[in-house]
Amino acid sequence: MLVEFELIERARDGDDAAFNRVIQAYRKRILGTIARLIGRPEDVEDVGQEVFVRLYYSLDQLRTPEVFEPWLYRLTVNAAYDYLRRQRRRNESRMSDLSEQQVTMADASAGSRRSDEEGRRVKVHELVEELLGSVSEEDRILLKLKEVEGLSLRELEKIYSVNENALKVRLFRARQRVLKAFEGKKAQDAAARKVTVREE
Amino acid sequence: MDDLEKLFSEYRESLPDPEPSAAFTPGVWRRIEARRSPIPFLRRTAEAFVALAAVFTLLIGTFLIPRIQNASVYTANYIDVLAAEHNNNETLDFPETARADVNEAAPR
Repeated sequence: MLVEFELIERARDGDDAAFNRVIQAYRKRILGTIARLIGRPEDVEDVGQEVFVRLYYSLDQLRTPEVFEPWLYRLTVNAAYDYLRRQRRRNESRMSDLSEQQVTMADASAGSRRSDEEGRRVKVHELVEELLGSVSEEDRILLKLKEVEGLSLRELEKIYSVNENALKVRLFRARQRVLKAFEGKKAQDAAARKVTVREE
Repeated sequence: MDDLEKLFSEYRESLPDPEPSAAFTPGVWRRIEARRSPIPFLRRTAEAFVALAAVFTLLIGTFLIPRIQNASVYTANYIDVLAAEHNNNETLDFPETARADVNEAAPR
């Protein structure tokens, strides 16, 4: 926990200063999670603000401060889902999202040559997003929470309110699909490299 | 660590937690203020009204109704009421004209 239980209780009882301190404590972590879930840096703060507004209006439903973090993560996941659904409704395909993000990242480093390190980051980002494209939106978020955010099964159980076994099965299947796509991609890359070598 | 785990780890490193802008927290409060609606106030008022009505009903049931029910008009039976009426009629004075008629009609 990044804050004391007492602070959460005070925020729940309507103390705005306490709620402000909760925002300060969690905003960076929540923004990081959102950035990795939605993959669009320009909208991260917007979705992050929405998470804290929802938290403010639902805090009185929080039974015990001990479940605060899973509660906050649930709100974050739901806000990310809502954002992605809105995006889908706007008929923006994931590929165009990716290219827009590339453009944003390229803009950030405008004026200077992209370093090897940045190029590698963009490549990793593109690859992971492409691989995760082989599973549903729900599974993609679940996989990211487990594999990228590093949440434990117990934490995920609290966030999703489902039992651990059901989560394990779902994660295993999603991971297998991504792994299969990864193997396919590696084979494809190896074949492309062979062709290039032959041409040279 | 398999290749996929390694890839996810690199992905995590490629997207570190962003630093929130200075406008982030004020923006949250602006949104909170914008969404404040009169509904909670109306709900609290309605709840207070219902509680007050319940207390009032309880007081009426406890004190006022038993007192009304103990009044003689509710406890007396039909015969008692008729008897009481009869007694009242006996004590009534005749009007002057009626008394004169009675005197004239009396045998001398």
